[in-house]
Parts: sequence; structure tokens; C-alpha cells
Amino acid sequence: MKSWHIGGKTLPVIAVLVYLFLWLPVIILIIFSFSADKFGIRWEGFTLHWYANLLQNVGVRHALRMSVTVAIITMIAATVLGTLAAYGLYKYKFRGMGALRMGSLLPIVTPWVVTGAALLLFYTRVLPIPLGYPSILIAHITFSFPLALFVILGRMQRIDWTLEEASADLGASRLTTWRKITLPLLLPAIIASVMLIFPWSFSDFTITFFVSGIGTTTLPIYVYSQMRYGATPVINTIGTIFVAAPLIAMLLMNFLQRRRAA
Amino acid sequence: MENREKIPCLELRNVVKRFPGIIAVDHVSFKVEPGKIFCLLGPSGCGKTTTLRLVGGFETVDEGDVLIDNKVVNDIPPYQRDCCTVFQTLALFPHMTVEGNLAYGLERRKVAKDEIRKRVGEMLELVQLPGMENRRPTQLSGGQRQRVAMARSLILKPKILLLDEPLGALDRKLRKEMQVELKQIQRQVGITFLHVTHDQKEALALADIIAVMRQGQLEQVGAPDEIYATPRTRFVADFMGASNIFPGKVIASADGKVQLETESGLRLTASENKDIRSEEVTGISVHPELIELLPEGADMGGDNRFGGKILEMVYQGDFIEMKICLEQTGEIITCHLSSQQAREAQFCAGARVLVHWSPKSSNILVG
Repeated sequence: MKSWHIGGKTLPVIAVLVYLFLWLPVIILIIFSFSADKFGIRWEGFTLHWYANLLQNVGVRHALRMSVTVAIITMIAATVLGTLAAYGLYKYKFRGMGALRMGSLLPIVTPWVVTGAALLLFYTRVLPIPLGYPSILIAHITFSFPLALFVILGRMQRIDWTLEEASADLGASRLTTWRKITLPLLLPAIIASVMLIFPWSFSDFTITFFVSGIGTTTLPIYVYSQMRYGATPVINTIGTIFVAAPLIAMLLMNFLQRRRAA
Repeated sequence: MENREKIPCLELRNVVKRFPGIIAVDHVSFKVEPGKIFCLLGPSGCGKTTTLRLVGGFETVDEGDVLIDNKVVNDIPPYQRDCCTVFQTLALFPHMTVEGNLAYGLERRKVAKDEIRKRVGEMLELVQLPGMENRRPTQLSGGQRQRVAMARSLILKPKILLLDEPLGALDRKLRKEMQVELKQIQRQVGITFLHVTHDQKEALALADIIAVMRQGQLEQVGAPDEIYATPRTRFVADFMGASNIFPGKVIASADGKVQLETESGLRLTASENKDIRSEEVTGISVHPELIELLPEGADMGGDNRFGGKILEMVYQGDFIEMKICLEQTGEIITCHLSSQQAREAQFCAGARVLVHWSPKSSNILVG
């Protein structure tokens, strides 16, 4: 039998080159975030100065607060709506459910630029929504809702629904069944959708850029606006945090999952 | 001695349930006496599970009434009916321990915590799983999960226990053991059982009354020995294993015996049944184990004797199934011989034999 190994040394080399190609810019960014250079583009010696000063920067503070607030509200609202919609679409039959399912997909398959521009036009010409928190929240929830919907729908197909019948059989009302049986069973999917939605909302640039108007900045928009003035270490530090935070979160989840499986 | 008529624990009156394109339950009526095991027996798709779900409240009737303890329960949701179901999938809550599962129903009734713990302990003793409170369903074997599912329903002391093919997922040996246990538990707690199964042997072993269902209707209802020894229709006979079926009509009757001529031209004799008119008879059935095989050359005179040739012999362990082709008509007869009998007579494939059964073994069919 011929072995399928691709020449012993070639594969690792190619893999390393691919990863370097993908990650080199980010790695350089991270390295230079520790550089003492005022512009953050040359190596001038190691320092944690920029990290220490990060939160003293008013602009950064406001932008961070806005990003986190938007992400948390989006995460909660989209997940709640997504769960309810998934339950309705899966358990009930009604006219128009096919259209509803297809329609829910639209925000994700439409190019973000198109979505952003369309929403901006809508807010300014059709339905007057103030640009700022309201417009950003609606835009983010609109986009995240399908994510939650389809993650939870996927999970629902793998649940044994006689469990709900058993719960009713044992005397639980519909609400109690929902609380004690359905929600706990859906929890992995709900957590998964939260883990998809929060990072997306936090780091979204395109759609937010269109609908945020003047004066409101989320963190990605703040970084963008800073670049207009030239390179500053702030970009490097925020960029590093953007990369490090999800990475740490994923490693933590992995570690916890491994412990639970053991 | 009391002579009052027992109020049936469960009664269905002319119940109809339709699904798009099919009548799943077609004007079904029956009564179940309290404390009995009532078995709905039939092949897949005959409507037995739908009937069970109608009793449990998971489907609503289109016509007719379901009565539990003489009260109509048609519009009452499952969580308010006084019956509990053991599902085919067992439906144990995977995110709770055994204790959590058993306590669930009692918690819904706001029973005190220490009372719950006591009853959980007692119930686990009853189903022979002492000390398993803190296990999770995924840590249990098939038989253990089965018992937890039973315990979870029994702990609520329902009027009726509904069982939907609960032993289906178990291997043969375990299934036989569980059948015995099930019956013992039922005798101990005295709860009425409505048991759905497609396994004739299971129904024969467990039931006090069997109702054979086919395409949404009841074909025959009776005690197990009745259903087995005297099936009334071709379908029931075949389903219960009386695979020798001879369609035909009565041509004469005398001396407590009736003579039939089958469609293929055989003359058969059966013992007369006073409750059945000759015009109603559509044929007879004979169980394989009631057929005797005599070697070729034995006396051909007498009732129900036909010459034939052995087509094949299939070894089944406790008996040998023989297929014999009748010389006169080419029909195939199935006969069961004990392994010892077969050995003594030294039958082999291709041998010519005499097939014989007593008129008492001929079962009269009316459908």
C-alpha cells in the first residue's frame, strides 16, 4: 500500500510558510506594541508604557465603552430573538415559514458594504433613527440575529424532543418545561452563538462605519480614525489586545472543555 | 361477595384520529379494567402508538372520547392527566442525575424535599437499583436506564402507566428478564398498564388482555391463550405464528365436527364451534407445533392426513422448523418438531412424510 505522506520535510515547511504569511503582519504589530518608539514603527527598546497609558487616553476609553456596551446588548438581544425564532421555526408549522427562514439569511449573505449603506439610507430617509447607539444597535442585532438563529436551529435538530413530552407527562406546564428542560438542552448552542456574536459585534468596522454618524466611535472606528493622523502606538496596543483577548478566551474554553471531558 | 360492575380505569369510545392522507385510529373502542395489563399488539404502522399517545394527551382525538376513571379527558393536556408514559426513547433528562429525574414529577407537585428523597430511595429499591441516585443517565446500561424510566413514572402513582415498546432497545436475554420484572412490579404496585408492542411473545408473556390492531382497527381482543390458540381472523392467526392458513368454506357438519373444502381442494376437518355459524367460516389455521409428522407408509385413513415431501429443515435450537410440500396441492405446511423427535424419526430433506393434525387443532377463522 502506498503511503499518503507527502514527502516528510516538505509539508511542515510549507505549513510554516503559510502561517508566517498569514500572521507576520500581526506578529510585527504585537512586537512593536512593546517598542518605545513614539510612532510605534521602529524598535527603540522594550516598554510597557503604551499599555499603561492606554486607559488614560479619553478617546480610547469612550470608544472601548461604546464597543463593549454595543457588543453586550447585541449579544443578549440577538441571542434571545434567535432562540425564540429558532424554536418557532422548528416546532411549529405556519404559512410563510420558508420565506421567514430565507429572509433571516439575508443580512449575512449580503455584502457588508451594501448592508451598511442600505441601513444608512433607511435611517436617514425612511425611518428616522438617530445615528449613534440606536442605529448601531439595530444594525448589529440585525446582522447577529441570523447567526444565533442558525446555530440554535442546528442544535435543535440533534435534541430528542420526547424529552419535552416526558416533562409534560410528569406534570410540568409549558413554561416550566421551557425553563427546566428546553433551555438547559439549548445552552451549548446559546453559548456558541454568544461566542460568535460578541467578537463579531466588538470588531465590526464596515457596517458600523456607515451607521455610526458623527461623534460616535466604537473601538475599530477609533483605530481607523487614528491612522488618518499617522501611526501611533495606540494602534499597536489595541491591535494586540484585539488579537490576544479572543486567543486567551479560546485557550481558556479549550482548557475548561478538556477538564470537563476528563 | 361484591357484585358491582367494575368501572373501567381506561375507556376509549369510538376514537378516530386522522393524519394527512391516513386514518391512524379508526373508530377504536375498548375498556381496561383497573389493575390489569392491557396490551396493544400489532405491526408497525397499525396505529397502536398513536392510540397510546391519544391516551397520554400528546395527540388530540378527532372524534370519540377518551375516558380515564369514567371522566372524559379529551381536552386535558398531558401535564394534567393522571397517567404517566414510559417512552420508547426512555427520554431520561440527560442533564440531571437519576435522583433529579425521579424527583422531577414530585417537585412539580410541590412535595416536600425529604419526602421526595424518601420516595426516590424506595422506588430505586423497587426497581433494584439501590444507591444509584447520583449517577447520570449516560453512565447507566440499557437495562438500568429502562428501570429508571419506569421508576420515574411509577413514583407518581398514576392511575395508568403507558408503555410505548419500552423493551425494544434491549437484547433478547435482557428483554426476557425485564418482561418478568415488569410483570412483578405491576403485580406489586397494582397500577393499570397499557402496553404497546409489536412482539407477540412479549404480549403473550405480559398481558392480561391482548388487543390485536391492524390499520387503525382492533381485529381481536381477548386473553393471551385465546388470541394464541383461537385467532379469529387470518391476520391475527398469521401474526401469532399460526402460519398454516387454509382459506375455504364449510361443506358439511356432523358429530360435533365440520368439514371444510379449501380453495385448493383439500378436505379438512375441524371441531365444531357452537358460537360460529357455518356461513361465517372463511377457513382454518393450524399452529406449526400441533402438526404431527409420520413416516411415509403410515395409515392414510382419518381426518387431516396428507402426504408430502420435506422441503427444508431449519434448526432453531429448541425446535426444528420443517417446511413440507403437500403432494395433493403443492401448498407448503410449516411444522415444528422438537429436536429430540426429529432425531428419533431421522427425518431429512427430501424424505416423504405423512402430515397429520387432530380436528381439535384446526382453528376456525371468520375473517
